[in-house]
Amino acid sequence: MNIAVVVRQVPDLIEPLEIAPSGTEFDFGSASFLLNESDDHALEQALLLKEAHGGHVTVVALDFGDVDNTLYTAAAKGADRIVKIARDDAPPPPRAAAVLYAEAIKPIAPELVLVGVQAHDELDGGVAPFLAAALGMPYVGVIRGVAVGAEPGAVAAFKEFPGAVMARMNVKLPAVLGILGADQPPRYVPVSRIRGAMKTTQFEESAAAAVSSEPLTAIARLYPPAAGSRAEMLSGSETEIASRIVDILAQKGLVK
Amino acid sequence: MEYARPIMWNVPHWAEIALYVMIPIVLAAFAAGVYWRARKWFLGRSEPGVESVPRLLLAAIHPGRLARWTPAALFQSRLSPDLFALVMHWAILWGMAVLFLGTALATIDQDFTNLPFDFQLLRGKFYCLFEIALDVFGVVLILGLGMAAYRRYLVRPKRLQATRTGVSLWDGFPFLATIALVAVTGFVAEGLRIAEGFHIEARVAAAEGLDAKIRVLDEMGFREHLHVGRERQDVQVNRIADGGRVFPAAIWAPVGYGLGKAFEPLSVDAIRALHQGVWWAHGLLAFGLIACIPLTKAFHLISSPANILLHSADPPGRLAVAVESGVTNVRDLTWRQLLQVDACTWCGKCQEACPANQCGFPLSPRDVVQAVDSQLLRTPAKANGEPPSLHDSRVRPEELWACCSCRACEEICPVFVQHPRLIVDLRRHLVDQGQVDEGLQDALMNFQRYGNSFGQSPRKRPDWTKPLDFTLKDARKEEVEYLWFVGDYASYDQRVQEVTRTIARVLRHAGVDVGLLMEKEQNAGNDVRRIGEEGLFAMLREKNAKELSGARFRKLLTTDPHTYNALKNEYDEVVAPVLHYTQLLDELLRGGALRLHRKLDYVVTYHDPCYLGRFNGVYDAPRRVLGAVGTRLVEMPRHGPNSFCCGAGGGRIWMKDAPTSQERPAENRVREALALPGVQCLVVACPKDLVMFQDAVKTVGAEGRLRVADLGELVYESLGITLKSMAEVAESTA
Repeated sequence: MNIAVVVRQVPDLIEPLEIAPSGTEFDFGSASFLLNESDDHALEQALLLKEAHGGHVTVVALDFGDVDNTLYTAAAKGADRIVKIARDDAPPPPRAAAVLYAEAIKPIAPELVLVGVQAHDELDGGVAPFLAAALGMPYVGVIRGVAVGAEPGAVAAFKEFPGAVMARMNVKLPAVLGILGADQPPRYVPVSRIRGAMKTTQFEESAAAAVSSEPLTAIARLYPPAAGSRAEMLSGSETEIASRIVDILAQKGLVK
Repeated sequence: MEYARPIMWNVPHWAEIALYVMIPIVLAAFAAGVYWRARKWFLGRSEPGVESVPRLLLAAIHPGRLARWTPAALFQSRLSPDLFALVMHWAILWGMAVLFLGTALATIDQDFTNLPFDFQLLRGKFYCLFEIALDVFGVVLILGLGMAAYRRYLVRPKRLQATRTGVSLWDGFPFLATIALVAVTGFVAEGLRIAEGFHIEARVAAAEGLDAKIRVLDEMGFREHLHVGRERQDVQVNRIADGGRVFPAAIWAPVGYGLGKAFEPLSVDAIRALHQGVWWAHGLLAFGLIACIPLTKAFHLISSPANILLHSADPPGRLAVAVESGVTNVRDLTWRQLLQVDACTWCGKCQEACPANQCGFPLSPRDVVQAVDSQLLRTPAKANGEPPSLHDSRVRPEELWACCSCRACEEICPVFVQHPRLIVDLRRHLVDQGQVDEGLQDALMNFQRYGNSFGQSPRKRPDWTKPLDFTLKDARKEEVEYLWFVGDYASYDQRVQEVTRTIARVLRHAGVDVGLLMEKEQNAGNDVRRIGEEGLFAMLREKNAKELSGARFRKLLTTDPHTYNALKNEYDEVVAPVLHYTQLLDELLRGGALRLHRKLDYVVTYHDPCYLGRFNGVYDAPRRVLGAVGTRLVEMPRHGPNSFCCGAGGGRIWMKDAPTSQERPAENRVREALALPGVQCLVVACPKDLVMFQDAVKTVGAEGRLRVADLGELVYESLGITLKSMAEVAESTA
């Protein structure tokens, strides 16, 4: 199966996010970036399908942040082709980004496109459905596993619904799937394999870079959320605290 | 009167010829067996740092090395903690060795001196000495075998039983029983020979007159029994006719003599027939034994001394790498590793010392070694292509991951097997295949991304210094005497941070010129390497080495034994001396730079961290510091090289406990400390120990009964200063 996977860089939140003086964008000056978690699962799912049934996995990414590191890691894991979309600045919001990804993916002519169902920089919506629209393919999101179905030209996609109900859906190909989780968590890639991939992997440049992608939304203001009502900390002796807890429970009508 | 050892007494000529035909066959079978087995060692790769095996052998035959080899190989010095095993092994080995040497000497006597020159070495007093030595060592051998039988069939230790690798109480039985039979038949043959002598003496005594006596001797075939020249026959005939004993040295063989007395009532014919039968049994059993050595466990007679002779001269803390991407089959190991697995005697001492095994984790280092050896023995020496993977049912991931890399197994192994090295080589394959535990994967990803296992920002590394009322120098910006490589737990773990600050205060008080690499320090990679992530270790080492080369310092100091081990043994880039803080404190106290004002009257026990003690031999410095602060040290039963791991090493600190585990190694250790009368405090010298034991004290429900304290905290206490006076010190030195 010919599979394309979109991977995105998101800021690493171990460092606090800084808002630029303009107040409408982040200051990424000192931030570091890492692979978006659900994209990592999308890649893992693609590789699992390839390992089980053969095929070809192409990884598509916007050139941003530490993307090279991510792409070498993807190559070390077993991705066959790496396509990079050159950028001068930070990635555009999802709707515009989806157009770029679609342009890069079309020449690959994949039967299946996997992309993480969410990322914490999705300003105007998820990339995954926009990408499906741009490619003119059907879309199913929040997928927790993909299997090659009994029917030719289709895959089985698994989705979990509230109330602990799992659904198995037959999805006709080509299609875009928004992945929440792979069949199994992404495996560890040893550094020596990544270093090996750095020596052997060639990135391909996508012509999609030339496509203009005007954002449809604009940020008016970025600010930290206002603190709501804070938790009440109980202090005093054990007896005082215990009686206070009893009072609260009584007030809420939980005890009589 | 001159007498000598009787040669081939009562052995017919055809039997003698048969014996000589068999000797070369047996020796050839033995040699072929040794060759067959030793060739398999060289299925392996070359050993890093070793040019060639012949060269290594040449270097090993050096007085200093042989002096170290002799006690371990010939006298099994590593068994000394287990006196029973030591005595048993000495008795069997030296019993066999003396009997073998005796037989060899007898062969020289009869074939190299008697046959061509009609002259015997074994005569007179020397022969008497020979007789008593062989009798005594024969008894020693049988006693040793009795001890083995007692242990195997009455004591029945667990370490000698493992169904998976075929180790059982009966595995040594064929060999040991055959040795016993060889010894017993030897004594019986001797007794029968002496009994025949008694009969000859009696008949000679009964005959009247010298001629009659000589006739009796001739009738009894005495001359033919002797297998010596005519002249020497005459001397013996005359001696016995004169009333001399047939075997004058028989009383020097007390066992043979006693048995001779016991067999005396039998008829001469019966004695002769029995003697021939037993003589054959003795010979055939001994030949069978020799021919079978290479095919049985007894091969350790050759492989173990060879392994001890050729063992690595590298420090134990320097881990060798067979293949960076890990070992999948026996051919990926080096010849030295294959020799090691073949030198294993299945004794299970490693299993008994293993903290994982003792706590119910699925690991026996002996079983890993045996699993590899059984695959080696199945692999033809001319193997084309790849032998089967070891990572199927032979070696399971859960046993490899159970290892704490504490080196207790290697330390105790009587034949110098390096189990942790083998385990890490096998782990590397699992890491290469991405088969790691979830917790371990998180830790490794954090190391890759942030250079620490906590998943914390590298920028926060020096944050522990913030509450100090003085600032520590930045060694990248100014020259310092000591560059303090702090380590992850000491820097990031909230419980340890306060201890790290305390040590900083002590160093400040002693006026030690110390600086840090600040946020540029990364984990030194000691445990990463032992997890089996060699590429990540190399990356961490590169980054640290780069920072270290940019800093100006004279010595490296660390509070963490794991870091200490890596910097000292595995960072070739580091040429500066590396000190653990316990060594520095000891130096400061002895040199007078650190003066203590308060004697602490605590009763304490001290836990030797694996990577400080067993890996690097630092045992005395922390104990001297404990003495200097005034505490009374009560040792735990397992201390020094025999220390019991807290269970954190080798990446275990990030992994989940095995479902089969009954307790954690740290809990086991805390219980050991709690069992000591009057001990108030368990003193540690490793940040990981502090965390592990503080947790364990809680989980065993001993909170308030045992304090876990770092050595630095006790030194700080005995300085008799308060935080406020520290501030004054800071001001006065500013």
